[in-house]
Amino acid sequence: MDQTMEGILSRVEKPARYTGGEYNAVVKDRKKVDTRVALCFPDTYEIGMSNLGVRILYGLMNELPGVWCERVFAPWGDMEEEMRREGLPLYGLESGDPVSDFDILGFSLGYEMAYSNVLNLLDLAGLPLRSADRDESHPLVIAGGTCAYNPEPLAPFIDLFSLGEGEEVTVELIQLYRKARREGWSRRDLLLAAAQIPGLYVPSLYEVTYQPDGTVAAVTPEPGAPELVTKRIVQDFDKSYFPVKTIVPSTEIVHDRVMLEVFRGCIRGCRFCQAGYAYRPVRSRDPKRLVEQGIAACKASGYQEMTLSSLSTSDYRPLESLCDGLLEWCEPNKVSLSLPSLRADNFSMGLMQRLQHVRKSGLTFAPEAGTQRLRDAINKNVTEEDLMTSCRTAFLGGWNSVKLYFMLGLPTETDEDVLGIADLAKKVLQLWRETAPDKRRGCRITVSTACFVPKPHTAFQWEPQVTREEYLRRVKLLRENMRDKSIAYHWHDPDTSFLEAVFSRGDRRLADVLEAAWREGAKFDAWSEYFDLERWMRAFEACGLDPAFYANRARSREEVLPWSRVSTGVRTDFLWRERELAYAAVITPDCRKQCTGCGANCLLEKGRACDE
Amino acid sequence: MSEARIQFIKTDRARYISHLDLMRTFQRAFLRADLHVRHTEGFNPHAYVSIALPLSVGFSSQCEILEFGLPEGEDRSQVPERLTRALPEGITVTRCYDGGRPFKELCWVNYIITLEYDAGAPVGAENAVRNLLNRESLVVTKKSKKAKSGQVQVDLIPLIHRVDYESRRDAIVLDAVLRAQNPGLNPTLLVETIRRECPEVSPDYVSCHRKQVLDKNFQPFL
Repeated sequence: MDQTMEGILSRVEKPARYTGGEYNAVVKDRKKVDTRVALCFPDTYEIGMSNLGVRILYGLMNELPGVWCERVFAPWGDMEEEMRREGLPLYGLESGDPVSDFDILGFSLGYEMAYSNVLNLLDLAGLPLRSADRDESHPLVIAGGTCAYNPEPLAPFIDLFSLGEGEEVTVELIQLYRKARREGWSRRDLLLAAAQIPGLYVPSLYEVTYQPDGTVAAVTPEPGAPELVTKRIVQDFDKSYFPVKTIVPSTEIVHDRVMLEVFRGCIRGCRFCQAGYAYRPVRSRDPKRLVEQGIAACKASGYQEMTLSSLSTSDYRPLESLCDGLLEWCEPNKVSLSLPSLRADNFSMGLMQRLQHVRKSGLTFAPEAGTQRLRDAINKNVTEEDLMTSCRTAFLGGWNSVKLYFMLGLPTETDEDVLGIADLAKKVLQLWRETAPDKRRGCRITVSTACFVPKPHTAFQWEPQVTREEYLRRVKLLRENMRDKSIAYHWHDPDTSFLEAVFSRGDRRLADVLEAAWREGAKFDAWSEYFDLERWMRAFEACGLDPAFYANRARSREEVLPWSRVSTGVRTDFLWRERELAYAAVITPDCRKQCTGCGANCLLEKGRACDE
Repeated sequence: MSEARIQFIKTDRARYISHLDLMRTFQRAFLRADLHVRHTEGFNPHAYVSIALPLSVGFSSQCEILEFGLPEGEDRSQVPERLTRALPEGITVTRCYDGGRPFKELCWVNYIITLEYDAGAPVGAENAVRNLLNRESLVVTKKSKKAKSGQVQVDLIPLIHRVDYESRRDAIVLDAVLRAQNPGLNPTLLVETIRRECPEVSPDYVSCHRKQVLDKNFQPFL
């Protein structure tokens, strides 16, 4: 570490985020590796280090001989200012070497509000922002993660997108990159060859044309580019890579614990949920293997907290036996076990007793909508009775606080549905009064609402988002009808949701807006300290684009959607059928009750069914 | 279980690990080293660790002391190596020994404070600092969490036992023995005072190293 760096670190907050050197961080000999990868998470260290995908890819790439993968996170404002002032370019945490000297720079894109950070990081690395301005002397800039399912707003900045699960395709791409370098291919030749690998979308090989009304006329592939790029999945999730030996940060991060991924995909078909569609098909890991991995990960890290993660952990069939297997080791070793994302319809007494063994954390349920009609429309498939049963179980078990998450602005929502949220909260409170064995400490019901953001590759990808004014009217309506000192109401700011809606279904023209906003200082848009909608509105105006066109406009079935060259494996006509069922408030049973024929099963090898 | 102590070095990248984060780091390192040390009671049990004297972020040290409960039958001589292997880069455990005097008997600290100058140390810098620290009294205002006003007046002079000076071409090195606690004198406050009182010798960069901790008779504290 040189004196410039020492000087900088003495002036910034939480400098341990910028030093590297954590336990289990991989340090290799520069002279003994031929491919250097910067795995870049466009948010703070604390958020990025909590991401399981980053940890998987980091571990997996560093197991490849000759490859050294390092981590890069977005420096907070004070650090960025210091770096720019001292002329210190963006560097890899492990080596401290400039990212511009790396071979591959890979971004993990989890949410649209990090897009401005992608540009900022490219700039901090000293790289030209746009692919067209980069050549073989620059790192290959790639991106993956859920946002890659609509790659278009970032298309001009990213050389190629990796769709779906990265475990296999990352290795294939690195091999191709090495071949290209050995044989002296041009960047374009490399990209053309990469486009032949399933799951890799090369945006520069597609030309987008527009109708006079601003909608997309066509996304036309160049000769040699595939008509449709379908995401990749891990076929055998039971045996797929799990990072037992992971980095243990020396400073506190958001999810500072062992994360055990119990299955991928989701059996539910919530019509608003991008992850629910995009992560299909369901593939589970054997509970015995999970117990082994969980114990090994605790021993290797020294963590005393473990969480079972997935999109809906209570849907893991052998959950109780998994908990028992883990608790047998966890309890004597003083490791606590937690479960995120519980469903209100299968939170059992058995499960609750298992959780009580360790620690009583808050309980969170997400009914998403206030009335049965609307819950049916969005296919949440949770009834009021389910919620009440789960809350009764919890209250009898000694819990005195419940958090309830809802969305406002869901398609077909009426004021009656909004008021239904207040009713539900009051019923839960009443239930507590009737059932709680110990009422001395009182009850706390927390209701949170967020503004619904229609996402690509969902049944609601054609739907308009309600305007910010309309969202706030519904917030006011709910607030005025839900006044009780035991019920706290939090609502999410609609400005962020509005911008998220613009970019989640945006087209390639938004790249100019992104660059304009970044030039005006946009970064860390997921953070209220930095987010400024006015700055974005000025950028839209400067580029002659109307954000409402993207956020608040209903699309027709015929419209060419900007992400139409990208497939999650779920067929578009299935999504449209789900949309129609939503308007009829007809539910679709979960995948275990009956296969809905969404198409994702075709991603599996022949002869295999989902969720086997 | 018996009270045991380790002495460790904290240097390089590990200098930036804060006091609280360092405690957490050790709690986990004990488990990684398969040392089943004493845990706290309660809902959220964790390894009991106590550090003699917190070290400011950015400082290096060769004399940190941490106390913990070592299970009977564990070989003390193996602890430094086992633990060092389980710790992040920059932390090295040098010895493990029986718990001794209470931490409150740790009275003085020997710091090496290096004031660095990019363009060479200014002429007369050493004398300026020497004159400042040789005053009869040097009262400064310092932030305080306890005082209602949020600040408190302290005289630095009684908190300084001795300072030796060494002038180099581009630095002045203060080898200082400062009061450790109740109240202690943090080298950062000393440097701030130098910057304010003698702006003409304000350094471009300062590094602080904790060399030794001492008892009230200026004998090494263990």
